[in-house]
Amino acid sequence: MLSRLPDHLKDWRLHAAILAIVLIAEFIGPLSLSIGPGMLPILPMIYAFLLGIALLFTPVVNERQSKNAQPITNAIILILVAKVSLNIGPALDIIVQVGPAILLQEIGNLGTVLIGLPLALLLGAKREAIGMTFSIAREGSLAIINDKFGFDSPETRGVFSVYLFGSIFGAVIFGMMASVLAAFTPLDPLALAMAGGVGSASMMAASSSSLSALYPEMAGEIQSLASAGMILSIATGFFMAIFIALPMAERMYGLLTRKRSRATAEEEDVRE
Amino acid sequence: MTRHVRDMVLAFVVAGLVIAVGNWVGYETVPTEALPGLLLVIGISLAGVGVQKVLPGNIPTVLYVAVIAIVLSLPVTPGSTQMIAWADAIDVQAITTPLLAYVAIGVGSSLADFAKLGWKSVIVGSGVFLGTFLGSALIAEVVLRLQGVV
Repeated sequence: MLSRLPDHLKDWRLHAAILAIVLIAEFIGPLSLSIGPGMLPILPMIYAFLLGIALLFTPVVNERQSKNAQPITNAIILILVAKVSLNIGPALDIIVQVGPAILLQEIGNLGTVLIGLPLALLLGAKREAIGMTFSIAREGSLAIINDKFGFDSPETRGVFSVYLFGSIFGAVIFGMMASVLAAFTPLDPLALAMAGGVGSASMMAASSSSLSALYPEMAGEIQSLASAGMILSIATGFFMAIFIALPMAERMYGLLTRKRSRATAEEEDVRE
Repeated sequence: MTRHVRDMVLAFVVAGLVIAVGNWVGYETVPTEALPGLLLVIGISLAGVGVQKVLPGNIPTVLYVAVIAIVLSLPVTPGSTQMIAWADAIDVQAITTPLLAYVAIGVGSSLADFAKLGWKSVIVGSGVFLGTFLGSALIAEVVLRLQGVV
């Protein structure tokens, strides 16, 4: 009976390692770093992530554990989505009230192109830059780019690199960004909660749990807006990427590279 | 098929056990108190997986899970207040902490792939994430202020 279980359920070493990490992280509990005018909370999830990465360099975990972590990760993501979405019903009034903000903040996704693309070009990326910066590079973006440019294209290499980066560091970065922006900028926790919805479910969960820890009295509203933002991003993000963000990234790429090649051409003229 | 379902349920049971322990140690909720909430969120997740399998179209499972949870939490749904109270016994951080532990260990071999991508991808990736987050937050902030919500 037990032998017919798939490997990820029998991998006691994996689950023992996770349990040890969770116990250590929760036992330490949240820490507050006071930096300048604000307090930056460092949450147990951040140590859990760092401890997990550290274990990768020890003989405790190897390829087998890494592979077996996937199915449980997927289960936890669904549990998280169920948990935070249960806050939506009672908060429906607020969500309807802030509906225009949730809809319009989708446009904020274009900030990705505006900040990311020039940065990528500055660092010497070529057409990879389009794939890297037209979206936040989740599964849907891989499909769009792969479909349009083909698997063996620089655009696809670009989107894969950011996808990989996001799969590893996305949740941690979202959790940290939410804490830092809440502590050091005048941005409202509700606006930050909505912004947390732009990425994957785990990114949304990380940012909304950072915000909930900072504003426990607003936890229900924060989680409901984050979840609503995420649902909307899933529903509209695909179309947004195809019809607005990707064409915009391509045009901006054309514009920036043309300007640059003209500038270098002029430089050469002067030299002649 | 039945074995597949059993394995799926067991994966959720493993996840639930880890969450229950973290919730106990970190947020002082004894597992018996957290049990109804855990069963509820696991039930919703499994229902979402089932609906995704049955319905046509390639719609992500998270969307179905979210929709089911929203419907259950609506004030018109009988028992919604009770269900929300059960779920409230689980701190969201008790779920994100094991999630990030599993994510970190799941990184495994892709860490080597990632190292190959180099520091430029790290910088661009960070810029992409910051750009999206900050862009969305700024627009949300402006609209909320115009509306007078905050």
